[in-house]
Amino acid sequence: MIYDWKKIVKHGLPLLTLFVFIEIFAGQILQGEQDTLVKLPIFLISIPVINGVGGNLGSVLGARIASGLHVGYIDIDLKDKTMRVNLLTSILIGIVLYFVLAILIYLVVLFSSTQVGIVPMKFISIVLGTGILLVCVISLASIITAFWSFKKGLDPDDTVAPVVTTIGDTLGIIFLFAFIGVVGI
Amino acid sequence: MFAKEMVKQSLPLLILCGLGGIVAGSTLGVMIDLIEKIPGLIVVIPAIIAMRGNISTAFGSRLGSAYHLGIIDADNMWNEELKQNIFGSLLLSFLISIIIGILAFITTVIFFSPSLNLRLFALKLISIVLIAGAISALILTFLTILIIYLVFKRGYDPDNITGPALATFGDIITILCIFGSAFLVEAVL
Repeated sequence: MIYDWKKIVKHGLPLLTLFVFIEIFAGQILQGEQDTLVKLPIFLISIPVINGVGGNLGSVLGARIASGLHVGYIDIDLKDKTMRVNLLTSILIGIVLYFVLAILIYLVVLFSSTQVGIVPMKFISIVLGTGILLVCVISLASIITAFWSFKKGLDPDDTVAPVVTTIGDTLGIIFLFAFIGVVGI
Repeated sequence: MFAKEMVKQSLPLLILCGLGGIVAGSTLGVMIDLIEKIPGLIVVIPAIIAMRGNISTAFGSRLGSAYHLGIIDADNMWNEELKQNIFGSLLLSFLISIIIGILAFITTVIFFSPSLNLRLFALKLISIVLIAGAISALILTFLTILIIYLVFKRGYDPDNITGPALATFGDIITILCIFGSAFLVEAVL
């Protein structure tokens, strides 16, 4: 038998506890900004989208970099060309995706019973701004985590996804409220 | 050439995840009254979703590796290896849920000092997290096994399917579980 429930719990518990600490911090930011979210539920609806897309893009990029490192067509070098092409593609996909999803969210809310309460231009600028900043930071974090893990002899496939989703959840929420502050509602 | 391949293979899944996110977010939007009524509820949402995502993705990828190692397959699924995995994941969910409930309670009391009956507040919050954590763990464990079974039957590589499938359905199911348990706890306590 190779799997043992004791080992699964022992390996999972420390890292999960750390992530939960960080996520609770993200949750407290949401609680602090609860008035905005109650007044404009469209932003509450956007949060899983912003965080989910960011985390997924980062995980895909990380997995690709990990495979490149394992097979040997990517070097641990911030100037590596293949890595840079991957990074750029990831950011471009992110920009397009956030733009399309922002419009979709706006339309969904417009045709639901929820009050929109914000003009489309402002909403799309806020989500797009948050998304672009988030996807840039997450992509860099993904590459740095993959490089660092590979150097330390850890498998980036195990480390990148949890690190990137946790960073994505926290920074996604922070960036969103920063852009709400900058653009104004 | 790498770029084109990345766009072609990952874009459909990313769009699907984005659409799943809109469904998950809309469920949160429906919960807004409960969020206003129960302090600390909004605090636990990112943590429970993240816990669920991490535990079920790890569960799914372990089952994927087990398949590649030849330990389980469609005809030999319900064996000791699978049972150890299920029990480990469920116990982990239970422990992390308790930690989330306690942390959310302590930080809410420190940051917002709500003028509430603290014992009732702690009881409510921890029960909501535990019920939501347990139910979502059971549903997602079952769903993972089902997905893996179907993937085995068709001879696909589970590594390519379970992760994105769980990411898309996991958030929606988890938010629905939080909604349900908050509603239940608010009605009972």
